[in-house]
Amino acid sequence: MTCKEAIAKLAEYLDGELTSVVQKQLEAHLKTCPPCRAYLATYRKTKELAAKVNRVDMPEDLKARLRALLIDRIRARPAGG
Amino acid sequence: MQGDEADLSLLERLRAGDANALEALMGQYSARVYRLAYGITRAAGDAEEVVQDVFLTVCRKSESFEGRAALGSWIYRITTNAALNKRRGKRQEVETALEEQLPSFKADGHREGDRAYVLADWSQNPERDLLSGETREVLQGAIDRLPEHYRAVLVLRDVEELSNEEVAEVTGESVPSVKSRLHRARMALREQLTRHLGPRA
Ligand SMILES: [Zn+2]
Repeated sequence: MTCKEAIAKLAEYLDGELTSVVQKQLEAHLKTCPPCRAYLATYRKTKELAAKVNRVDMPEDLKARLRALLIDRIRARPAGG
Repeated sequence: MQGDEADLSLLERLRAGDANALEALMGQYSARVYRLAYGITRAAGDAEEVVQDVFLTVCRKSESFEGRAALGSWIYRITTNAALNKRRGKRQEVETALEEQLPSFKADGHREGDRAYVLADWSQNPERDLLSGETREVLQGAIDRLPEHYRAVLVLRDVEELSNEEVAEVTGESVPSVKSRLHRARMALREQLTRHLGPRA
């Protein structure tokens, strides 16, 4: 397995979706390839960091505006209409 | 994600004008809808408009929800479409830039770059450093530059923690396309972080 092939499989590797044969090939490559080990470590960390910065909270005032907007809307229509 | 009885009765009560049902719906979904809307549009004002559109749509179209998919999946789909629509016209020509942010390889399959670069491993740096200051800005900038369809997949998989199959259902893409976009998005972000962080002496 080349580095290019190894890197192409990392998402499926982290998801546990590789067949056991391919997983063993990848792990054998990682064992002998420091650059790919570094790649995997930073790839995994990138996934975590991106998830953390993407975890934004909805502003409280927006929640209040949304509630007001929707309460009017659902009450304005008769049930079943 | 199959819809269940609780989803259906929640929508029924919503149609009957039940304020508690609205509270329950908002409590369960508004934070997630905002996160996804912000993740795709990357602008608080746009995200707010998307959230309002989504909940108005849910209230208006609740009759057409038949429980074939889970309510959450339906709401994610409405949100993704609304957020991508909001981006229409604001789209930058970034697809080629993404190519430049992916790792490149030599003919023998080794990664391009000098030894120090391909060995750079900043994953053990303290997280408070990685998530603050310049590094946080680099990461935010890299996320901004991703094409919005890639951001949608990244947020649905890595923040909302949906499976590849669920993301495909939400975005209307094939599973292989979801997997490819997710992998390319993560690789592009990793490359930007590595150019910024490593190699360090
Ligand atoms: Zn390698």
